Amino acid sequence: MRAIFVALIILFSPSLWANINIITTTSDLAAIAKTIGGDKVSVTSLTKGTRDPHYAQAKPSMIRKLFRADLLVLVGAEMEVGWLPALIRSSRNKRVLPNNEGYLDISKVIDLKGKPGQRVTRDMGDVHGAGNPHYWLDPSNGILMAKAIADRFGMLDPANKAVYSDNFAEFKLQLEQKIVRWKSELQRFSGEKILAYHTSLLYLSTAFNLDVRGYIEPQPGLSPSASHLNRLLKKIESENIRYILMEPYYETRSAKLLQRKTNINLVIIPQSVGSQPQIKSYFDLFDSIVNALKAVQ
Amino acid sequence: MILNLRQASSAVAGFLMTGSVCLAQSSVNNLEMNNNPMDIGVSALFSAGAASEGNETIGALQGGGHDPSKVGFTLQNLELTLSGAVDPFFNAQTNIIMLLNDEGEAILEIEEAFMSTSQLPAGLQIKAGQFYTEFGRQNKMHPHTWAFVDQPIVLSRLLGADGLRSQGGRLSWLTPTPWYSELFLAVQNAKGATGSSFLSGGHAHDEGAEESEFAINGPEDFIYSARWFNGTDINDSVSANIGFSGIWGPNANGMDSDKDLRTSIYGADLYIKWQASHSSRGYPFLSWHTEYLHRDYEEIEGAIFTRKDNGWFSQVSYGFKPGWIGGVRLESASSNEGAVELDTTERFRTALNLTWFPSEFSKIRLQYNYDDSKYFDEPVHLMWLQFEYNLGSHAAHTF
Repeated sequence: MRAIFVALIILFSPSLWANINIITTTSDLAAIAKTIGGDKVSVTSLTKGTRDPHYAQAKPSMIRKLFRADLLVLVGAEMEVGWLPALIRSSRNKRVLPNNEGYLDISKVIDLKGKPGQRVTRDMGDVHGAGNPHYWLDPSNGILMAKAIADRFGMLDPANKAVYSDNFAEFKLQLEQKIVRWKSELQRFSGEKILAYHTSLLYLSTAFNLDVRGYIEPQPGLSPSASHLNRLLKKIESENIRYILMEPYYETRSAKLLQRKTNINLVIIPQSVGSQPQIKSYFDLFDSIVNALKAVQ
Repeated sequence: MILNLRQASSAVAGFLMTGSVCLAQSSVNNLEMNNNPMDIGVSALFSAGAASEGNETIGALQGGGHDPSKVGFTLQNLELTLSGAVDPFFNAQTNIIMLLNDEGEAILEIEEAFMSTSQLPAGLQIKAGQFYTEFGRQNKMHPHTWAFVDQPIVLSRLLGADGLRSQGGRLSWLTPTPWYSELFLAVQNAKGATGSSFLSGGHAHDEGAEESEFAINGPEDFIYSARWFNGTDINDSVSANIGFSGIWGPNANGMDSDKDLRTSIYGADLYIKWQASHSSRGYPFLSWHTEYLHRDYEEIEGAIFTRKDNGWFSQVSYGFKPGWIGGVRLESASSNEGAVELDTTERFRTALNLTWFPSEFSKIRLQYNYDDSKYFDEPVHLMWLQFEYNLGSHAAHTF
């Protein structure tokens, strides 16, 4: 009986396992939060890196996770607009309500690109009025993301503030060194013309100086039509575009059609931690992206 | 353009005018409370029908208040949704529906209008206002989120043409179990057009007497409902929800004889969804949704006896490529009163449909119904083409 009682207490008190209970919307945020928090925090991501985070599925189990959270870390910039607001409303956890200490929207500390310089209307497709939310794919943004997370951890758990800022300093140092190496490894791609599937590779292409000349989607979020693919065929030939870069979750039929007709190289870019089994940290993510590109002749 | 809460919520009179501000609000995110006082959306659902029988038969078969119910065109549902955080303590949602009846007259409905708490401790939440009763999975879904163009037969029969909804209060509790488990308890008015198994339905003949008889004399004159809803992730790709519901309340059948007759409805629902581990725009997926309902409905013909009605529906949706969903629904309903009325006859219906979502904000659906009841001599074939648009704030993806 006593054993059951103790087991129940452990089960229902996440605070006994770790100081703060962190829920992130994506696996990338979770990876950084784990690096910064170490064994002082427990981190769970609501989504997996194998799926498109725009279209995550709200599930009742997520309500349960949010209910227990001390801190919710989100990508923001409307990335989670289709599924997170309803979850927060159902979670009945005032800590994670917007503007409270337990709500951290990382997009607020990032200089977002791709802000439409005009009023956003739906005939533009799935355009985010706040700017492009795929900022984690620029590794230098990783430093800003980690800083925001470390600062918030320190605010919620002052006793371990020094641990978090030390972990951040180490993360920053390592990342800066790696960025230099990644950039030199991808030197031959600098200025290279590419096609992307979606507007999601904007930050990656900026970081490594890739020249995005077009998208397989005719407009963000819409499936490609035959006539759009025909236009791309002409574009590939006239502009001598040599690479298609796309995330693993998109259909490959369109890209393979272009590949058959033009010999363009198709490079699958793992876009998130967990999108491939070997990618377990934020560093692994860029190692894999760099390797995927380097593997192409 | 920032829309002022007071302006926007002022009146239904502004309903049609708000269409023009919706695009400006297209990327409203309710999380950003400081910028946007509320989310505004308009959803319109139309359909065109063809059938092997005339409009009288089709109208009788399509029991849902928002079902397409005639050959030719139907405006099923034009819905204005206003929602958001009221303040740090409450969230609110208002859904106003307009539809056109067969005479082309506009009918206005307050579908839902409720506030709910956001800060109660211990996993509790209170909701108050006009809202759908928490019963099964489909009852609280708004017509534009249905997987088929029409409402399952058993729901039209037992919960009413517009679904069971009324004014009242609801307490829910997120129980401290390791899996998601939530308990809902509600008390709502038994009277009103949307409580057909209760005081608005049945065989009350004398309109004049009704009003005085319907006065609330005590706690027995309300509808009480309970629901236990559970969800778990079986693995990364498969999640399952199971729920059990019950409603108890007075019905109108004993009004003439001054007897207090009661209705009880019980239900169980199961929903299982698989989504590919590498999915794009949420596809491919496969979902299976099944509900069973039973009603004990006290009636009086000399002596009091209990009519027993029951039915089920089971539907599969297969999202086979981004934007494309194929669906099959099987359903049946029956009653121990037999084929005396269409409402009690044994009835089977099969529906097949194909839906295309050009984007998240529009939908085109083709559906075929094969409707076989003991009440009509021949099975009826129906064909529907449905189209929908959504303007305004991003519709939440529901689970």
